Amino acid sequence: MPSNSKLSTASHPAIRFEQVPIVEGSLHRMNELRSSVLSGVKRQTLKDFENGKLDLLLGEALYAEKSRLKHEKATLFTRHRKATDQEVWAQIQSGLLSPAAVVDRRKLLSQVISHYGDEIGGHFDPRVYWFATRSVPWFFSWLLNAASVQRFLPWGMTQSLESRLTILGEVPALQKLAQKGTVLLVPTHQSNIDSVLIGYIIYLMRLPPFAYGAGLNLFSNPILNFFMGNLGAYTVDRRKTNPIYKQTLKHYSAELLERNIHSIFFPGGGRSRSGAIESRLKLGLLGTGLDAQLANLKSGRPNPNVYVVPMVMSYHFVLEAGSLIEDYLVDAGKHRFLKSRDESSQLSQVAGFFWKLFSSQTGITVRVGRALDIFGNFVDDEGRSIGPNGTQIDPRAWLTSGGELKADQQRDQEYTRELGDKISERFHRENTVLTSHLVAFSFFETLRRRYPDLDLFRFLRLSLPQRSIPWPEFLEQAERDHSRLRQMADRGQLYLSNDLLNRTTEEWVRDGIRHLGLMHEAEVVRTDGSAVWTEDMTLLYYYRNRLTGYGISLLADSFDKDSARMLAGRERARDFDANGFLA
Amino acid sequence: MPTDFWRKSKVAVIGGGSWGTVLAQLVSVNCNDVRIWVREEERARSINSQRMNPDYVQELRLNPHVKAYVELERVLDGGVDGVIWALPSKATRAESRRIARLMSGTEFLWHATKGIEEGSLKRMTEVLREELPIRRIGVISGPNLATEIARGEPAATVVASDFQEVIRAGQELLNTPKFRVYSSTDVVGIEWAGTLKNILAIASGALDGMGLGWNARSMLISRGLAEMVRFGVAMGGQEGTFLGLAGVGDLLATCSSPLSRNYRVGSGLAKGQTLARILEELGSTAEGVQTARIVAHHARERNIYMPITQAVDTLLSGGVTVQSLMSSLMARPPMPDRALS
Repeated sequence: MPSNSKLSTASHPAIRFEQVPIVEGSLHRMNELRSSVLSGVKRQTLKDFENGKLDLLLGEALYAEKSRLKHEKATLFTRHRKATDQEVWAQIQSGLLSPAAVVDRRKLLSQVISHYGDEIGGHFDPRVYWFATRSVPWFFSWLLNAASVQRFLPWGMTQSLESRLTILGEVPALQKLAQKGTVLLVPTHQSNIDSVLIGYIIYLMRLPPFAYGAGLNLFSNPILNFFMGNLGAYTVDRRKTNPIYKQTLKHYSAELLERNIHSIFFPGGGRSRSGAIESRLKLGLLGTGLDAQLANLKSGRPNPNVYVVPMVMSYHFVLEAGSLIEDYLVDAGKHRFLKSRDESSQLSQVAGFFWKLFSSQTGITVRVGRALDIFGNFVDDEGRSIGPNGTQIDPRAWLTSGGELKADQQRDQEYTRELGDKISERFHRENTVLTSHLVAFSFFETLRRRYPDLDLFRFLRLSLPQRSIPWPEFLEQAERDHSRLRQMADRGQLYLSNDLLNRTTEEWVRDGIRHLGLMHEAEVVRTDGSAVWTEDMTLLYYYRNRLTGYGISLLADSFDKDSARMLAGRERARDFDANGFLA
Repeated sequence: MPTDFWRKSKVAVIGGGSWGTVLAQLVSVNCNDVRIWVREEERARSINSQRMNPDYVQELRLNPHVKAYVELERVLDGGVDGVIWALPSKATRAESRRIARLMSGTEFLWHATKGIEEGSLKRMTEVLREELPIRRIGVISGPNLATEIARGEPAATVVASDFQEVIRAGQELLNTPKFRVYSSTDVVGIEWAGTLKNILAIASGALDGMGLGWNARSMLISRGLAEMVRFGVAMGGQEGTFLGLAGVGDLLATCSSPLSRNYRVGSGLAKGQTLARILEELGSTAEGVQTARIVAHHARERNIYMPITQAVDTLLSGGVTVQSLMSSLMARPPMPDRALS
């Protein structure tokens, strides 16, 4: 049964951060392990291309890398990296121009893999960790105090403290499983804030630090570079799509998991652009969980199991909502949607986010989901895979083919695909609906009902008077949607926040309106007591999308399906690339 | 995989009806240890001592290494490598619950059940996956009239699975000089094709019962196929699958052969017998009866145009003659000859 245990008040950052001892984890041995990880990566990746046509493989990678380097503008901080890249690829080029008898192609490949491995490889410095874990809560509580004093009287403080960061769900199970095997944490991904927040949540849960992949672009900032580089982050460069890079990255992640280093992947790839909970996942990195467990089983290591733990983050507002939804609409609508803004996430905006977070009595809700095995079966507290009808699944048996424990690429991809489906299903079920989500959804749907014949893109361009509805009509719809969600919550299909569970319709609606997209310049939903309107249709659409995928929208789902179909064709092709590797 | 792995493996066949018995015989050509689960002591004795299962397949003399048991525990004793599931769709969920605890997780399973679960509309691979501690499941489907295969006549079938290794192993176990096994990855399409054709087999039997000729039957088969495609594609199957062995192939066999049980249901109804009476005489399951009701209901809900299926459903619920249904089908307005709009 999914438990609803909330972390005690004592676990809140402002109260607890000084009392927590450093938890030693495998990541602390990262620096000792680094060379063995990298040589493992090299060995495994070379093996993948054992029978390939190396000239072709290297030639294609060289072509792609040269064109990437040509278009890349180096900054002060990335100049060095670019120069090294150019040097390496120039060597590869001259190598490829010599006959294979003179320059061994395997040597060239091995040089490329080492180069990528060095770029990807993370570090870990316990001193930096010590500093960061103490300064982050300090920073948080500084913001908290500085911000709240302005707006609230001191006696409001205790209550607001608790409402900021709510960690729900299977925390004790996760803590237990982290001792029994390797944890692969798979959170939903909406915002660049996620990485920082998750790192902090892990710390709050008294878990050892986790390794995680972060976009190479984030490492361009020298401050972030210093912290992330020393906190177990390894780099992921989405621009590099050649098979050598992809396999190197996969093996890097698998090698970490094999060494019992807990890791975080965002299985949706990047941030959710539509605002919806991820339903199509990137299976490539996810599959490294299975690879690692299989390797562990074969070599007879203790604690061989990898546990996949979904985690769902619920925000009232997402810093980058505007640019994310525009990207999404441009992609789905092509010529039908005209892009109007291009915002980027500056450091000042990140600070602004935290300022708003702490000054507005708003909060972030995080739910740790039930743990899964690498096939998507539930796992009990003891780390055993649960099968149907009271059976227990032996992962070894599922990885045995023809009487032998071994890898089988197609079989393992299929298992991973099913794991992906399960994670996406769990994301929806472990989601905590906040007041603002339901306000956005109900308002959008009520409005949509008035213009059933417009396509989405025309609908999003309604004029201001057209996007206003009477307050009572809106309240009525909100109440109906609420009771529907309540039934779904009773059936375990999602969770409702305490505000949605305990407050009257008028109260939660007003709370939702107040919190919805608080960070944006335009107010997403406004009311003057007699009418409700929106100042920004695309933002409204973004926040409303949080409740898609549940089959509760009558009218609007028809165009959800349209845009989903448009995207699906492309995304499906992306599951596997031409070389049969999971993308 | 060692090349003789399946030769030396143990395979359990769950279900001793006609198709289960014949499948056991086919597998026994390629595998030395085949156990078949039957419900009745008497049948087990007859298989083990006389090598025969006379109630279902008279002509067949079973290979000596096919052994029959009435206890599931003994069929799965010591662990098996493959399971062939040949029970009616109605019994599948309950029986798979019983077998779940006896499995180790290494097993591959192929089901040969051409039906769907009532209410949930779940395919058999879905039901089995929900109840068993395994994932590597496939389906066997095609124009396979058990009696003809028992006589040693040439035939072909399709094995479909999401797992290539399950397809390969199915081919290895079932391929014989007289039986060709094709492969497919469209599990959904293959399962729906095998399920839907049973409805048309009833209709075809009814035409026969009315004494109609080939024009009428061809009209039924081709327009019926269009209905199958429409429904199958709506459920997620691929159109092309319905042009293959498990689609049009199976449809032709069941709609033309008086050997098919569903066909006999239709012809009995056309001759004015009651459904209860016909089923009693058959003595075994006619999947089409249940399927017609389920599919007709869902087609109405989902707005999928299936006039023949609706007519079969009406016929099965009694009170109308085949003749009147035929006239009302013929009286519909003209329309294009297409499966998908």
